[in-house]
Amino acid sequence: MNLGGAIRAIISFLIFVVLHYTLRPLLGWRAPMDFLILALLLASVRVRPATAAVIGFVLGLISDSLAPDALGAGAIAMTVVGFGASYLKAVFFADNLVLNAFFFFLGKWVFDILYFVGEQRVKGVELLQQLLLWSPLSAAVTAAVGVLLLFLMRPLLEPAPA
Amino acid sequence: MQRTLRSNTRFDLIVVSTCIVLALAARALPDTLREPVATGMRRSFLAPLVMLQESAERGRQSLLSADAKQSYLDSLSLGAMKARSLEGENDRLRKLIGLGSGLRWGFVPAEALHGRGVRDETTVILSAGSRAGVSRLSPVIAPEGLVGVVDQVDPTMSHAMLWTHPDFRVSAMSPDGTAFGIAQAHLTGATGGYLIELRGVPFRSTLKPGSLIVSSGWGGVWPRGIPIGTVLQEIKTSEGWARTYLLRPEVNPADVYSVMILRRDRLAKGFDGVWQSVAQADQAAQRIVVSGDSAAKAAALAEAAARRAVIDSMARANGAPPLGATPTTPAATDTSPEAVAARAAAARAAAQRAAARRAAAADSAARRADTSRRDTVPRRDSVRTDTIPHRPGATR
Repeated sequence: MNLGGAIRAIISFLIFVVLHYTLRPLLGWRAPMDFLILALLLASVRVRPATAAVIGFVLGLISDSLAPDALGAGAIAMTVVGFGASYLKAVFFADNLVLNAFFFFLGKWVFDILYFVGEQRVKGVELLQQLLLWSPLSAAVTAAVGVLLLFLMRPLLEPAPA
Repeated sequence: MQRTLRSNTRFDLIVVSTCIVLALAARALPDTLREPVATGMRRSFLAPLVMLQESAERGRQSLLSADAKQSYLDSLSLGAMKARSLEGENDRLRKLIGLGSGLRWGFVPAEALHGRGVRDETTVILSAGSRAGVSRLSPVIAPEGLVGVVDQVDPTMSHAMLWTHPDFRVSAMSPDGTAFGIAQAHLTGATGGYLIELRGVPFRSTLKPGSLIVSSGWGGVWPRGIPIGTVLQEIKTSEGWARTYLLRPEVNPADVYSVMILRRDRLAKGFDGVWQSVAQADQAAQRIVVSGDSAAKAAALAEAAARRAVIDSMARANGAPPLGATPTTPAATDTSPEAVAARAAAARAAAQRAAARRAAAADSAARRADTSRRDTVPRRDSVRTDTIPHRPGATR
């Protein structure tokens, strides 16, 4: 990835982070979109797995700092998701919106599973309901928004050649 | 090549393992350590993001409460509109009370019930009937003036023809009696508005715009002196032998809700001064409001003056200069003749002010004592002489 591509990727990443802390609370949906996951996934496919893991760890700590009871849970989940996304980028990241949507959906769902299991705040039937109902819904919304943003920000988000 | 790839993979695994171990360590932190770490991050590099999130939350709250605020504003607007109509109704009822006190007797208060649509105000139902003393051809009036006449009477309600009815006529005149005519509705169609025509005014009599027209009392139905309307202009008609004037009515038929029905036995007694007394009652109410404001202002000023006098006397008792007095300056120690003379003049003026204040205080105390005497001493004429036991042999 050349310098221009890196700068564009960083700008896109920052835009997603800012959207996470502005648009998401403004909408306040029960199944919210997760712009941090989108930012992580879009960054992970551009860097090597170790870097993606570090990005995921930092992003996870940032999101956890707003919910201190779960400090570390988000960091674990994002580290795994970032590493996995970077590791599997050759498989998933293609110039196909449907595949990208599935990529976002899977990333968000895996993150939620790891996060809620690691957090240990929600248990039993409530955990099942969260993981099998609300998390897939949130993942679907995230995927839809991710695809929409990919479409809108296509000039900024062109992937680096493998 | 293969070795490089394997080396890279190992490096990736080491990094991801380190990250996971660190995350697990953060997860395992005790609460006493977890909170400071999170707080430190929130207050440092996360502060802008936290601020953004707070702004977004506030925006969401504003959006959510927008509907409630809108409905609150709507309620307020509705209340304001109702208040305006209530004020108008209050004013009308006050005038009606004034009219009632002017008439004194021989009238029946009633509510006018409008049963028709807009611009079809020619008749109303009145909430009083023959049981209340209402009879056919009883005049219906409002504080402003003439409303109509009763044409059908039931025991508990009656039907009245308003002045807007095509068949309505009333003999009218100018208050000075120089011009007479017949007043009737000015029928110009739906867009003409509610106006009155004064027809048959002798050609020699001219009326200026703004002149009041009242009922003349001729015909036996309407008493003399009830306001009908004010002259707007003369209009041309086919009648060449008399003038016709257009009047602006005193009573708008759409605003008639509370009326008074005059009983037949009241008509013969006359209505001189009744409408003047209505106007006087309205002016008196306004004067009461104004004088109430003046009394409150005077009381506030008197209270402030008394408080200032108490503070001054306390200051003098403590040896300090009273409020508003010039504090002692190095000039007071000046022994030059001019300074001594100035101080003497100031002392004389202060003594005069103190004497005036004492006189005013004594005067007000005397007035208070006088008031209390009047209030507490029994009136001499309140004891009946026939209840005083008289001595045997005494003469009255």
